[in-house]
Amino acid sequence: MVTIAEMLEDPAILAYLNRLVGEEGIALIERFPEEGEFSDEELAEKTGINLNTVRHTLYTLYEKRLAEYRRLKNSETGWLTYLWQLKMDRIHAVIEEDIISALERLEARLRFEEENDFYICPRCSATYTFANAASWEFECPNCEVPLEHFENELLISALRKRVRKIRECLGSA
Amino acid sequence: MTDLAEEALNLIQSHRQGILQSELWKQLNIDSRKCSRIVKRLLDAGQIERIEFRNEGIKTYLLRAKKKAADPSLILAGCEILPCIRCELECIPEECPLLLDWIYQLALEEYEE
Repeated sequence: MVTIAEMLEDPAILAYLNRLVGEEGIALIERFPEEGEFSDEELAEKTGINLNTVRHTLYTLYEKRLAEYRRLKNSETGWLTYLWQLKMDRIHAVIEEDIISALERLEARLRFEEENDFYICPRCSATYTFANAASWEFECPNCEVPLEHFENELLISALRKRVRKIRECLGSA
Repeated sequence: MTDLAEEALNLIQSHRQGILQSELWKQLNIDSRKCSRIVKRLLDAGQIERIEFRNEGIKTYLLRAKKKAADPSLILAGCEILPCIRCELECIPEECPLLLDWIYQLALEEYEE
């Protein structure tokens, strides 16, 4: 079985979790006891991580189906206790869902780059489409210097390649 | 797909080299008979493949996902993560400066290769 420590050695998974729950959230995942279910308070105590951070991390992971809870009701007091466990084996499927939703945006950007001619200001690096540049008479409206043609072929090639890889990986090439 | 079948599939997908059926039911915390039923359902749906395997003389099966989960490295350009992941900004991909920075990183990575 792939352990959480091994999983976190993958730079992409680490970067994804960092975006999702931040460094303290990753610390919780690293220190989460291997076996069993735990309340948020137990986790804060066992890991030494602030209770609010523990709660926030667990809810965020839950939204992504990377954590689950079981609710227990104390029959005498009526108090509810939530016992949590991680479901990190779902990480690949979860990242794939985000890749699928990002693919549409990458394709939109690729189309935009392919269908337009760009001009750049040599001073402030602002870029303009041909139509915009023409409306400013090919002069940067901020710096008042002539715009230069911007060759975006390298960007198109790199983006096209990545979009193709994603499509192949998702089986939609 | 039931939750358990989905969990089994996720577990199989997370093992790129495959996982033994005798290991799967232990990890799912279910009995081997129930595991066999789930495996059959995944096989029938064409989501996994099953290869006969002998583990210390005992016959079991190696289970592998047919359609592998997407490679996580697809979200990286150099060390930079795709800004669309968990992005809460209004999405205009054509004008997004964060996305443009990421594409520059992608081009740089390709150039260095």
